[in-house]
Amino acid sequence: MAENICISLAVQRVSSSVPPRGQLCKLFSPGEIIFPQSDFMRGHGTYPEDDVLKASVAGVMEQIGRLISIKPLKSRYNGEVGDVVVGRILEVTQKRWKVDTNSRLDSILLLSSVNLPGGELRRRSAEDEQMMRKYLIEGDLISAEVQSIYADGSLSLHTRSFTYGKLSQGILIKVCPALIKRSKTHFHNLPCGASIILGKNGFVWISPTTADSNSSGGFAQNLDQKVGKADREVIARLRNCVLALATNKIPLYSTSILHAFEESEKYLVSELLNPESMLDIAILTQHKIQMTEDL
Amino acid sequence: MDLVSDQGLRIDGRRPKELRKIRCKLGVFAQPEGSAYLEQGNTKVLAAVYGPHQVRNRSKALHDAAVVNCQYSMATFSTFERKRRPRGDIKSTEMTLHLKQAMQASIKTELYPYSQIDIYLEVLQADGGNYCACVNAATLALVDAGIPLKEYVIGCTASLGNGDVPLIDVSHLEETMGGSNLTVAVLPLSGQIAVLEMSQKFHVDHLSLVLNEALDGCRRIYEILNDTVKNHLSEIGAISGWGKSDL
Amino acid sequence: MYSVVLSDAEKTFIWDGVEVNLRNDGRKRNDYRPMELETDVVTHASGSARLRLANTDILVGVKAEIDVPSSETPTIGKIEFFIDCSANATPTFEGRGGEDLASEISSALQKAYDILPLNDLCIVPNLSCWKLYVDILILECGGNLYDAVSLAVKSALFNTQIPKVKAKYIDGVNVDLQLSDDLFECWKLDVSKAPCLVTLCKIGEFFVVDPTVEEEACSNGSIVVSVTHKGSITSIFKIGEGSFHRNAICEAIKFAGVIGCELNETLKLSLEKEESLGSQRERYGFLK
Repeated sequence: MAENICISLAVQRVSSSVPPRGQLCKLFSPGEIIFPQSDFMRGHGTYPEDDVLKASVAGVMEQIGRLISIKPLKSRYNGEVGDVVVGRILEVTQKRWKVDTNSRLDSILLLSSVNLPGGELRRRSAEDEQMMRKYLIEGDLISAEVQSIYADGSLSLHTRSFTYGKLSQGILIKVCPALIKRSKTHFHNLPCGASIILGKNGFVWISPTTADSNSSGGFAQNLDQKVGKADREVIARLRNCVLALATNKIPLYSTSILHAFEESEKYLVSELLNPESMLDIAILTQHKIQMTEDL
Repeated sequence: MDLVSDQGLRIDGRRPKELRKIRCKLGVFAQPEGSAYLEQGNTKVLAAVYGPHQVRNRSKALHDAAVVNCQYSMATFSTFERKRRPRGDIKSTEMTLHLKQAMQASIKTELYPYSQIDIYLEVLQADGGNYCACVNAATLALVDAGIPLKEYVIGCTASLGNGDVPLIDVSHLEETMGGSNLTVAVLPLSGQIAVLEMSQKFHVDHLSLVLNEALDGCRRIYEILNDTVKNHLSEIGAISGWGKSDL
Repeated sequence: MYSVVLSDAEKTFIWDGVEVNLRNDGRKRNDYRPMELETDVVTHASGSARLRLANTDILVGVKAEIDVPSSETPTIGKIEFFIDCSANATPTFEGRGGEDLASEISSALQKAYDILPLNDLCIVPNLSCWKLYVDILILECGGNLYDAVSLAVKSALFNTQIPKVKAKYIDGVNVDLQLSDDLFECWKLDVSKAPCLVTLCKIGEFFVVDPTVEEEACSNGSIVVSVTHKGSITSIFKIGEGSFHRNAICEAIKFAGVIGCELNETLKLSLEKEESLGSQRERYGFLK
């Protein structure tokens, strides 16, 4: 039998899943009554009808003071100001770029919201408008922060910081936005030798760690630089680990990813594409997270 | 031939008020925002939901609501007689329209101006009640996609056997033998009817009898689907610690 | 057609990875992603199979119908391929959006299957034969559609049960067809000689098998070769807009021959293994 081809049967499929964590929560589904009176403030995923507050999505209830919201376990990205996102340029128009951030409307990056060479406070001239395609064109990836939300719900992004900007060589992975936890930083230089950006919108970017940390701030892309095989192996392994966790619904943050990376060492990188090894890593990671939490 | 035997059993061995076995699963595919698979007896359908996303055809965008876009399609091998085309015929266009009608009754489109929600249905096996199975699968896919709904939309059929016995969840064989057939799509909690269609004549006295039967079926299907949704949620939610533990 | 947009930097990363024989997901150039197979999943069809290759999901149903053989080939049956790109896979397939891709793949299959002997499908020469409608449904796209479709088709044909029919001449000219008394008495087509399609995707200076959607996006052309179990090549065609050098094509064909043999062999083993579980095995379909 060939080593490079594997066709398994549906009957052999792994059926067990990752053990649960945390207690059982009360679940609501669309149309269910949350509270029999409407003197609560209605948040996302709820709506008032006939003086009662009802759920409009399936998920768990979150209560902050009098604000009640139902959080679905899966949905498109719902942006909030301050979120770190990774996005792909869709269109270049006058004075702005349209960006795909997995939101329900295309996001906007204004020319005035990016750092241009020559100082932050420079005025944007007509020449700058003509140069826009020099900085970012369709298909390019950027990391950015949500600056504000327009009235129609679309997001306005900015890259006015050294940490944000155009992304160079690496791999993009799309996962469910709910799996990305909010944390102090979404940029990580992992000790295993690669960098990862966990976009709140579910776009995860893995790239080789570059020596000079300023390089991502501008719009430079180093296409001549070849990434070495050792670095590639780390990046590929990280990619497969992130996918293994995401397929098994384990939240992604630096600790869980590092645990998964460590547990994956017993497999070859390409073996991590098998559903069995993916599940194995997810279970081991979950176990390790629980152990450290209990301590 | 009678649809109900002397022993009170239907052709496939069910009692008049017995639903076919429903088996379903949420989240069968990775690419769409939401997806579901639903079996109702031998009728099997797949639903996929994309969006809400920016409207592709800008002239169609609405400033106060999301555009709901549906497509009903049948696999060419889904019927006993091979179908020549999966969609584009009058019947599937009509199904598409009715689906859109049912789903729009429940989706809170006003929350998503300038957006579009795509709902695609693929019938893999047709054995009666295709429309209802599609409505139910689409509801599950919408729930999976986290799109706000007023409540579930549930479809069910009912018919009349032996002149006066109401039958629920009609199979293909009964559809072709019996003739008169009532299809409803309902918001079961509030009891609102979103779609109602009658295929042939009923005596007016029988109509309420058959309608009640169909509504009762919808409520029972709702219970089954709701259980599936909750089981699915609790399984996935428990793994991720309910998405609460922000770092 | 279904595709993704990549930035130049992402493309460079993929190109360089192929060059050092370490692709983005850790595979070598000649590695396939894991596949999963299940046959007999559609009860309304004479034969069916579902194949999942990473994210690519293919469902095939085969229906056998009685037809009249064409006058040029009176002693063989017919086989026809129809592909439907479901909008479930991507919104761009909505309506007639997937038709170009569908006809491209179905004509590739039709040519590749030219060599499959269909004499067994003939019931009465000149008068009646079996026509197999192979209906293919693409439910999700994760790259490498050709290979996945061909494997699913071969599996579905392997699974196909054709009823036994007796032909009786009445009044010497007309024929009366009688189904066997036992409705479950069926026979199976010998598909061991059926080919598999092997796509070789050219990325930079190298060919890779089983490209992902991202890899397809940064390739300027692919060669699809249909290969039988013995490694003989039954048809070749090129897809994509780029052009190839003669030497590159020769190299690709040699490579495809080796891969195709392995592919056919692996599929055969899996199909036999599943068959050995008997007809009572549990069907999972989309429920697991």
